[in-house]
Amino acid sequence: MDSLKLGPYEFSSRLILGTGKFSSTRRMLDAIKASGTQLVTVALRRFNREQAEDDLLGPLSEMGGITLMPNTSGAATAKEAVRAAHISRELSGSPFVKVEIHPNPHHLMPDPIETWEACRILAGEGFLVMPYIPADPVLARRLEEVGCTSIMPLGSAIGSGQGLSTAGMLKIIIRESSIPVIVDAGLRAPSEACAAMEMGCEAVLVNSAVAVAGDPMAMASAFGEAVLAGRRAWHAGIMQKSGSAVATSPLTSFLGTD
Amino acid sequence: MNSLPAWLTDRRLSADIAPLLVQGDGASLERLAAEAQAITLRRFGRIVSLYAPLYLSNFCSSGCAYCGFASDRKTPRRRLEFDEIEKELAAMKAIGIGDVLLLTGERTGNAGFDYLRRAVDTAAKVMPRVAVEAFPMTVAEYRGLAESGCTGITIYQETYDPDNYRELHRWGPKRDFLERLETPERALQGGIRTVGIGALLGLSEPVGEALAVVRHVRHLCRTYWKAGISVSFPRIRPQDGGYQPSHPVDDRFLARMIFAFRIGMPDVDLVLSTRESPRFRDGMAGLGITRMSIASRTTVGGYHDPENAGTSQFEVSDNRSAQEFCSALRSKELEPVFKNWDPAYNGPICKEVAPCP
Repeated sequence: MDSLKLGPYEFSSRLILGTGKFSSTRRMLDAIKASGTQLVTVALRRFNREQAEDDLLGPLSEMGGITLMPNTSGAATAKEAVRAAHISRELSGSPFVKVEIHPNPHHLMPDPIETWEACRILAGEGFLVMPYIPADPVLARRLEEVGCTSIMPLGSAIGSGQGLSTAGMLKIIIRESSIPVIVDAGLRAPSEACAAMEMGCEAVLVNSAVAVAGDPMAMASAFGEAVLAGRRAWHAGIMQKSGSAVATSPLTSFLGTD
Repeated sequence: MNSLPAWLTDRRLSADIAPLLVQGDGASLERLAAEAQAITLRRFGRIVSLYAPLYLSNFCSSGCAYCGFASDRKTPRRRLEFDEIEKELAAMKAIGIGDVLLLTGERTGNAGFDYLRRAVDTAAKVMPRVAVEAFPMTVAEYRGLAESGCTGITIYQETYDPDNYRELHRWGPKRDFLERLETPERALQGGIRTVGIGALLGLSEPVGEALAVVRHVRHLCRTYWKAGISVSFPRIRPQDGGYQPSHPVDDRFLARMIFAFRIGMPDVDLVLSTRESPRFRDGMAGLGITRMSIASRTTVGGYHDPENAGTSQFEVSDNRSAQEFCSALRSKELEPVFKNWDPAYNGPICKEVAPCP
């Protein structure tokens, strides 16, 4: 089976969904089901043990067939992210943590320095660490060295819907990584998720594009299919682009062979 | 008076937003609304974060002409003791509130820094997020609040017109325009994560006020790269004192201002309180606005003992219960979010008591 391997875990789906920004918990759960995903990320900020109606952890934990990956969205430093990871593991029981450290709360760009430090600590403590990072090939290798389970470079700015604007860097990261590369953030349309998979990503993570769609369930399903199509195409071997036409009947055949 | 900071009069900082504030026809307002909605959806999704104010004290040392708690008002003065604060917080938690804004008047002996810090300590034990709207403080005091679990400060300049400011702030520490203008920076230097600013609409010419707020936001973002900035749009409400706004702002201009801010500042939180009517609030939710107050009491003790809570700072216009307001949001396909923060992230955001590097 062509499964996504993250530490000792295997997933048949290569689509990871975010759980924020939905108009209701019901809509979010329906979208997860429709997408076929088996791994979802949820922010510690949205755990609410005191008010069930406001809580995302409870309904996700009760949902069968999915693994939770808590995230540290809100953390501005490595220290805060580590603290959030400990609390999240305690509450969710999940060994995964998506390290998100964005000190600027407006553009939400990940801080490479604090992210590296948090990942070093958390990987050392046995977490399955999945950092959200800028599309930086050097940082990607640094994170692999400290024991991350995967790396999650951004396709473009989070929530921007600008697609794979970092494609050039992503290709380098994919070529040089020996841990799974998962594109996270910026994807707007299923075609972009498909393109990321064709490029050789092991999986993609999508949130806004599904949550704010007119029909989140249908969009989630479309992303699921696009990811599958992209993966199949990557396996099949995509023909190279050429700058000029290549004749199917060679022009020099009359010269014979050597 | 010392000279005004350069950013306050630098029109280049607000040049993109100025044309959007020109009152045009209905079609132009509709176009702005559609663009503001699309940006809000993309950046913030289908959620509205909720908070509620908790009035700790109505003692005040200033003479703001437009405020029901100004020191010359006959209103009975009261501050909540810490057991009462706990009861207020418990009453707020019972309706789901997870984000509280603690309010006082200007600094007095009854309600000064030590009192406020202890109130923050008390609130942070039970509320996931605690913010403060009180008197201007020193950098060290803000750091103390951040260490106690205060993540945000709200401090309105009231008016960015220095002459009007002097006329309206008749006495007391708030009379110093520049001292107040520099307060958000002291809060950020002290490690407070988010600063809420705004102009009290109705005090001065509204287009000028709006553009000054834009310049202020952009100045703060440029100077303090980790700063979270939010903007509120308070309009003068009827209050004990009977001040009538000299530059009233109607619904259409206020809506235009919010749309323009969302278009020009796509990732800044825009806040609308219960000063506004249910009709206006329901209409604006999702069209730029991302944070709203809910089930607010603007009296001291108004949540746990409304019978004895006394006079309010101003009259609330949206008196709906939390449940009613949430139903209205849900009918617009928006999710009300009561907890959108975690105490795991509390603490000063800067390491030293100095400007962020």
